[in-house]
Amino acid sequence: MKKRKIFIALLALVMVFLTACGTQQQSKANSGSSDKVTLDFWTFWGSGDRREVIESIISDYNKSQDKVTVKHSYQPWGDIWTKSLSAITAGNPPDVIVQDIMSVSQRAEAQQSVDISRYLDAGTKKQFYPQLWETTQYQEGTYGLPFNTDTQVIFYNKQIFKEAGLTEADLPTTWAELEAVGRQLDVKKNKTYSRVGFYPLWNLGAEVWALNADNGTSWFNDNEKIKINTKNKVAALQWILDQQKHYGKSTINRLEAEFGSGVSDPFLSGTVAMRAQNLNYYTSLKENASKDFEFGVIQLPEFKSGSGHWSWGGGFTVEVPKGAKHVKESAEFIQYLTSEKVQQKFGAASFDIMANEDANNNLIDGTELDETGQMIYAMAAENMKKTIMTPVPLTAPDHTNLIQEEIDSALLGNKTAKEALRDAQSAVENLVKQNQ
Amino acid sequence: MQKRSLRQKSEARWGYLFVAPFVIGFAIFMLGPMVFSFIGSFTDYNLTSKMNFIGIANFKRMFVDDQLFWKSLYNTLYFTAFNVPLTTMFSIFLAVILNQKIKGIRFFRTIFFLPSVLSGVAVYVLWMQLLSPSSGMVNTILSWFNINGPAWLFDPNWTKPALIMMKLWSAGGAMLLYIATLQNVPTQLYESAELDGAGIWHKFRHVTLPLITPIIFYDVITSTIGSFQIFQEAYVMTSNGQGGPANSLLFFNLHMWNKAFVGFDMGYAMAMSMTLFVIVMIMTVINLKLAPKWVHYAGGSK
Repeated sequence: MKKRKIFIALLALVMVFLTACGTQQQSKANSGSSDKVTLDFWTFWGSGDRREVIESIISDYNKSQDKVTVKHSYQPWGDIWTKSLSAITAGNPPDVIVQDIMSVSQRAEAQQSVDISRYLDAGTKKQFYPQLWETTQYQEGTYGLPFNTDTQVIFYNKQIFKEAGLTEADLPTTWAELEAVGRQLDVKKNKTYSRVGFYPLWNLGAEVWALNADNGTSWFNDNEKIKINTKNKVAALQWILDQQKHYGKSTINRLEAEFGSGVSDPFLSGTVAMRAQNLNYYTSLKENASKDFEFGVIQLPEFKSGSGHWSWGGGFTVEVPKGAKHVKESAEFIQYLTSEKVQQKFGAASFDIMANEDANNNLIDGTELDETGQMIYAMAAENMKKTIMTPVPLTAPDHTNLIQEEIDSALLGNKTAKEALRDAQSAVENLVKQNQ
Repeated sequence: MQKRSLRQKSEARWGYLFVAPFVIGFAIFMLGPMVFSFIGSFTDYNLTSKMNFIGIANFKRMFVDDQLFWKSLYNTLYFTAFNVPLTTMFSIFLAVILNQKIKGIRFFRTIFFLPSVLSGVAVYVLWMQLLSPSSGMVNTILSWFNINGPAWLFDPNWTKPALIMMKLWSAGGAMLLYIATLQNVPTQLYESAELDGAGIWHKFRHVTLPLITPIIFYDVITSTIGSFQIFQEAYVMTSNGQGGPANSLLFFNLHMWNKAFVGFDMGYAMAMSMTLFVIVMIMTVINLKLAPKWVHYAGGSK
């Protein structure tokens, strides 16, 4: 029965192999034993300034106390949240994770994250911009703390302004002025635009213009009522269509397809005189602009004089996934990450607008940054007063495709602004009904 | 029933041992998830907090209320309907011209095969540049013939054709299969056809084509299934992976992904995957039923 013996031997080998895999896993989990807790911290900051500064912050934290060791795990941007979702489902999540600020309550509702309010110091709330703090609240609980944010502004090319004979006094403060200044900066040769003064969808979504026009109300208002088909939003979309008509679809398509970063950045090459963009675009300018490139930053203009320089922001929170073992220690680490000095350090290195208001304000007149850098943070402080967060409505988390389709069809000329937003409104109403 | 001998038993045991890795792998990684997904499609499962049985509500919602479901199904069917025949014809065409006994033919075969070696995302980014409306190579070439090329990836009418064109480019994989089969076609068949006065077309139509039908059949089935599963292309080549412009690249699987990972509506996504499974199953059965009418197996039997 030689064969039988071989068979059993093989089987045994397989078993040994399988159990070996098992024990390996176990020993891994137990490593770093004694009574020191190891926290697994997931971020998507895998390279550049952000990685350097977060690792330095983590190492500071590890040195500052002897109860906890934080381990930084880099997860690629495209994977981090689907991966953490699987990890939560499997009951083996990271201890702390950087998450999308817009969907905090969506995760809280689905029990993917943990309420950390009982571990927080009394003064924690006051550190943050109120609209950021608001995003972390779900049914009396605090499901993470805001970490960083951003806000939309307009960058303009000072050189081009000067050449056109425009001064600081001419900087646009309303949509009408913006349009007029844009026209003055246009350069057209033989029916072809070689310079575009201003086109609103570079690089801002129609939704930001819509909320700017509608007194800071996004597609949903604070009570999750659908506010897509409103008078002001229709007017905003119509205005965008007017700008599109002015330059022509072919000009826009042609230039848009060639836009890139670095040398092919249309703002740096002067193809675009004003560019609406996230304030953090400054890092790209800092890296790629030549020394004599001069630019300025203004707020998004008011829809009508006095309607408010409404802008839009996103950002990230730091939270504890459901099922993580060391909630108390994790909450402490999160508080550390969002404390003034740490936030200031992260901001100085990354030019992100930090969630901690004092940290940003310290950077305006601190010693870390040069004059331009300080100007950026001064602009941030001003703009954050009118910056709206648009948390995902629990009644229709995946509504963006429906609205974007209608806006696209308006931009393609298949629908008027009014028809498009009317149809978007009813499509989203339908989605809400489905989700009830 | 005849009792099995000791030897047969031992052989059977060995047999099971050798197929065990596959069977275990299949059960754990394929069958298990499929059964789970089938059960989940009748629930409001959201991965973490709830899994209540809600009957056929997901399916009802899908067919009655969800307008994007129909849009994504249309997009996927459109893509499949053009992609499968075109890539099949193109790879047969390539295989036939590259099946010549001339000097340097290996070089040409390598060239045409190369695109299928390159991996996903890099190819998509390359094509995004090739398809750029004014400076892209595709429109540059068209302009030599005084054709004003469309704004491929920006115009909803042209996004799917652009994707199909991109897919044609990587027909090298199937081409290889066809070349291998073509080389098995006995040369005496061509000789006798020539004696009967057949020209190039007739030889192709009545000798080559019937003899490679089994491979065509295989290719059609696998590429139909593959086309229904298209996802990556749209996810990478549209802004924010949303399937724009105007949802013209919102394919079935992309919509499903959005439902699962944006809306956390996993039950609904599972119902969608079950629907796709049934559609693909029906398509495959139709293919199998039609096969005897046109697939020719050498030797006369299946």
